[in-house]
Amino acid sequence: MIKGQNLRKHFGTVNAVQDVSFTAADGTVTGLLGPNGAGKTTSLRMIYGLIKPDAGAIQIDNHNALTDTLAAQACLGVLPDQSGLYPRLTPREHIRYFGALQGVPSNELETRMEMWIDQLDLRSVADRRVGGFSHGERTKVAMARALVHNPQDIVLDEPTNGLDVSSTRSVREVIRRLKADNRCVLFSSHVMQEVSALCDRIVVIAHGRVVAEGTSDELLALTGKTNLEDAFVSLAGPHGEAA
Amino acid sequence: MNLNPVIIVARKELIDGFRDKRAIYSMIFGALFGPLLIGYMLTQEAKQQRAAQEITIPVVGKENSPMLVHWLAQQAGVEIKDGPADAEKAVRDQTEDIVLVIKKEFAEKFSASRPAPVQIVSDSNRTSAIPKERRLRSLLTCFSAEIGGLRLMARGVNPNISAALKIEDVEISSAQQRIAKLFNFIPLFVIMAAFTAGMTFATDTTAGERERLSLEPLLINPVPRWQLVAGKWLASVAAATLSMAATLAITAKVLSRLSLEDLGVRFHLGLPEGLLIFAAVAPVALLIPAVQIYLACFAKTFKEAQTYMSFLILGAIAPTLISTFHPLGNNPAFKLIPFLGQSLLAVDVMGENIPPVWLFVASAITAITVANVFLWLATRLFSSEKIIFGR
Repeated sequence: MIKGQNLRKHFGTVNAVQDVSFTAADGTVTGLLGPNGAGKTTSLRMIYGLIKPDAGAIQIDNHNALTDTLAAQACLGVLPDQSGLYPRLTPREHIRYFGALQGVPSNELETRMEMWIDQLDLRSVADRRVGGFSHGERTKVAMARALVHNPQDIVLDEPTNGLDVSSTRSVREVIRRLKADNRCVLFSSHVMQEVSALCDRIVVIAHGRVVAEGTSDELLALTGKTNLEDAFVSLAGPHGEAA
Repeated sequence: MNLNPVIIVARKELIDGFRDKRAIYSMIFGALFGPLLIGYMLTQEAKQQRAAQEITIPVVGKENSPMLVHWLAQQAGVEIKDGPADAEKAVRDQTEDIVLVIKKEFAEKFSASRPAPVQIVSDSNRTSAIPKERRLRSLLTCFSAEIGGLRLMARGVNPNISAALKIEDVEISSAQQRIAKLFNFIPLFVIMAAFTAGMTFATDTTAGERERLSLEPLLINPVPRWQLVAGKWLASVAAATLSMAATLAITAKVLSRLSLEDLGVRFHLGLPEGLLIFAAVAPVALLIPAVQIYLACFAKTFKEAQTYMSFLILGAIAPTLISTFHPLGNNPAFKLIPFLGQSLLAVDVMGENIPPVWLFVASAITAITVANVFLWLATRLFSSEKIIFGR
């Protein structure tokens, strides 16, 4: 379970996040939907303990993420904005590195790693250096690396951004499996179709604030529109360019 | 079995670093450069010393004084050959280092007991010519004094009367000490090798990690920041230590191939001496990467970090470099200054003037203390939010 309450963050004179509150429950896929620059990445970075909010509270399972950051991080599996891999290491080495840092015992680490390599269809490239990998392959390696310690709460920042069809499908497949396994999945996107296809609940963010929250039907009812895209545009305001 | 995150990070950085061709090449260059340069300089020194003892003097105008030519030819290690047609041109063109010109009026002035003119043509800018010129001049002075003495005696005067002074050369800087000065560069090169090796690791694991945007995922792991910094430091220390040891080993190999006895050097860089020098300079391998990691944390890219490093190397090497030209004396306080202290200790070891153990320990403690300060500062930078906002 991931809970953010009245989160606020500014950088210099820019108010990146002004008031964001939401709850992502276990067994649910929660989508953070918003135009570019709405404050999605900043909100997520506060959730996974990379930056401290100016105000507000964050709870990950039963840990207060602001005072007990390391314990909260241990419950999280995160795919950040950029996959950020090491070009000279292989997928297996990436997964082992992060698994070890998460404290996964080494025999268990090997079995889980092989499981993720199969699920994400990485077996043919598992021992190649990632330097020459495609964007899709890189994202899949970063996902396996983020999930190898079996986290209860999963945060994915625009996971399907720029992926081809087959990679998008395997990422979606993983998200569905995690949900079926009663995990809490929080992911951000600026792509309508992505959110409507996967999410149980949608949190719409614009200009650093939560402007609406609910299932896609609830959002349609709220705005009186017939399709989600129109609903999104009316919620995000005239400057919210949805894809 | 769970490893400590410090070890996990260090192991990953070492694997990653040793796959980097750029890192490997600069480590190899760093380890080879010093020993080869020292080997070259010692060979040159040996050549010069041999050249001064055995000289061939091209003489122009032999016929003007067969006596002088004959006297010169009788001196030990001197060979006489015909001089070139144009003495100055030959020296300028570097076909000859020196030429002795015996002037036409020599015979006439000599028999009239007036100063008979000879010329030494040489180029003082050429280091190889200096010992030859010096030798020839001292031979001529000797001849002059000998003939002068004979003339006085022929006139019934004690020749000693013309010598108001008796000058004795007590040369403090013996040839051996000159060579010892060359040896003083060995610790400097060892430190530089640690610097180059530490640099690639320290910058690639910090600024490089920011540049690749891999720092954000790393920082999301539930590992205290100081352990990440310590792991990266440990990897850089391992590389620096390896490079130092390699430089010392290569230096020992190079020195063993030169016949140092010819140079009057008693110092032998064997295993015990090598280990002592290593013990003296090893703290530098702990210190340099700490400073490098701290500096690299300010840089957003690998390239930017390298620019900071070039300032650091000047700062770190300057005191040591100055001390090789202006000996600092024996104040033990100098040995406590990081970088400088370690190389001074190593120089003492090579001078067979082995410092007491407490000095080794004290100099290591100061270096490690300073290293810890820099690691603490680097951890503070790593804990700040600014470190994530790479570009």
